[in-house]
Amino acid sequence: MTSYLRNPLTFIWALLTAITIASWSIGKGHGSDYHISATITAIVLILAAVKAQFVVRYFMEVRFGPTWLKFVAYGWVIGLLLLLLAAYRATL
Amino acid sequence: MTNTMGTVAAGVERRTSAGYLPGRPGIWFFIIGDLLIFGVYFVCYMVYRGQNHGLFLESQQHLNQQIGVVNTIILLTSSLLVALGTEAARTENNRDAFRLFGAALAVGALFPLLKLSEWIPEISAGLTPGKNMFFMFYYVMTGLHLIHVVLGLAIIGYVVDDLRSPKPSIRFAETGAMYWHMVDVLWLVLFAVFYLMR
Amino acid sequence: MSGTVAIDARSAFRQKSRWYENKKLDQYLCFWSVPVFYNLFGIVFVPLSWMMPPRAPGNSIAGKIAFMQSPNLLVASTILVLALGLAAVGNAVYMSQMRRMSVNPAFHFAFLAGAIAGAIVGCLFPMFCFGLGAFRHGYRPDVLAMLYDFGYLSFIGCLGCFFLNWSCLALAILLDKNNVLPKWLGYYTVWQSVTELFAATVWIAHDGPFAWNGLLAFWFDMVIYVPWQIIVYVCIYQAIKRQPEHELPNCQPVPQAIYA
Repeated sequence: MTSYLRNPLTFIWALLTAITIASWSIGKGHGSDYHISATITAIVLILAAVKAQFVVRYFMEVRFGPTWLKFVAYGWVIGLLLLLLAAYRATL
Repeated sequence: MTNTMGTVAAGVERRTSAGYLPGRPGIWFFIIGDLLIFGVYFVCYMVYRGQNHGLFLESQQHLNQQIGVVNTIILLTSSLLVALGTEAARTENNRDAFRLFGAALAVGALFPLLKLSEWIPEISAGLTPGKNMFFMFYYVMTGLHLIHVVLGLAIIGYVVDDLRSPKPSIRFAETGAMYWHMVDVLWLVLFAVFYLMR
Repeated sequence: MSGTVAIDARSAFRQKSRWYENKKLDQYLCFWSVPVFYNLFGIVFVPLSWMMPPRAPGNSIAGKIAFMQSPNLLVASTILVLALGLAAVGNAVYMSQMRRMSVNPAFHFAFLAGAIAGAIVGCLFPMFCFGLGAFRHGYRPDVLAMLYDFGYLSFIGCLGCFFLNWSCLALAILLDKNNVLPKWLGYYTVWQSVTELFAATVWIAHDGPFAWNGLLAFWFDMVIYVPWQIIVYVCIYQAIKRQPEHELPNCQPVPQAIYA
């Protein structure tokens, strides 16, 4: 079973969990200090995109996939991130 | 047959330069389409949010971020387990694959339970879908995602059952795994957009 | 013995036969009713009556009354009364292909039950409501407003029936080992059934993207539904064409019959 702990995928999982906790500590908050913050939003969305990219590339094995799939999958992650940031920015 | 780099390398050998598409091809049609549909919803959310920042910001604070984080980690762990399980299945290590997919199912089953424990107090406190636009978006999108999770758990259940048989289908295990990873990716974005961003 | 020779002779003759001797004529007739029905439906609901895109749920009483008593609605209701029966034929065509699939018959029975319930609630009820506005005069404004709400909510709110319907079709296609319809269509049908769930929000929202004329509960659903409906026609047509003639129920030779 320890072989699974040394599997590269487990390392990716640990990274993903760390990023999750980091983005949660950035994004959490309540009450009077909770206001619109383009910085926090940008960081949180970018970290989410990074996590999604890891899952898509390593867990879904798109790195071994056909070229069209790489375009579509990576394109979705990046495209969605840019659209969300643009929509947020445009209405600030 | 359980060494780590060995399982990764064994998987690599099956891949040709034209690229390897794990699972049945139809599932990728579904995955891509589903990602696009959710994508449309996410962008619409962002646009409608922009028309009423104050309302969305205030409503967001009622969400239970702790459960949100735990749910994120649950899905990530479950995703890892199915990924490891897929590798095990490919190297015909059916016993390990069975256990890994089974563990993924057990961990993943916590998600709907936690979701309900999050929603029931919220709804009892009057935070219903009809309360305002934020909550409508929130319940519709996380509800749609929850349906995907439940469906995914059923599919993994079938994969676990298949792995018990003498000649399990690697393609089927891969198909279930890919679907489950999609569910995970969607939640990663949902968590950031509803729970964390401002 | 002479029976078999007679049948072979008929097969040879069939190659040069007319369209009315096509063994699948019955299926094709039923099939073509589907595009006819949907085109009529489309004309009735869109340019003729302005029922679609849906009028606003938050319309004023005067607006609702004007809509309910418009002459266009009268013509639309007339056509609908005459053409509604074709829905049954269209659904039966889907079902006849589902019967060829290797899955349990429960799927096509549930499909039919969902289709019937959906047609009654989604087509018949709006027809009555809007027909009442068009053919009967003298109702109080608040009654007409209620009929307007009833009609539109039935039309879009009958999602449960169609969710069952399309889910049965999707699952049947995905599990079918005979590959009567392509697997990707099964996945697309899953989305189609999920759009029915999107529509559940119309019961709650009076305006905005989740209302019955909203961006997400209506327009986005149409973006998914319209191509799906066209694609499904095409796939069903291909399935009918590909169906081997020896499988057709009306092609089984009757024992001891004497053929000309």
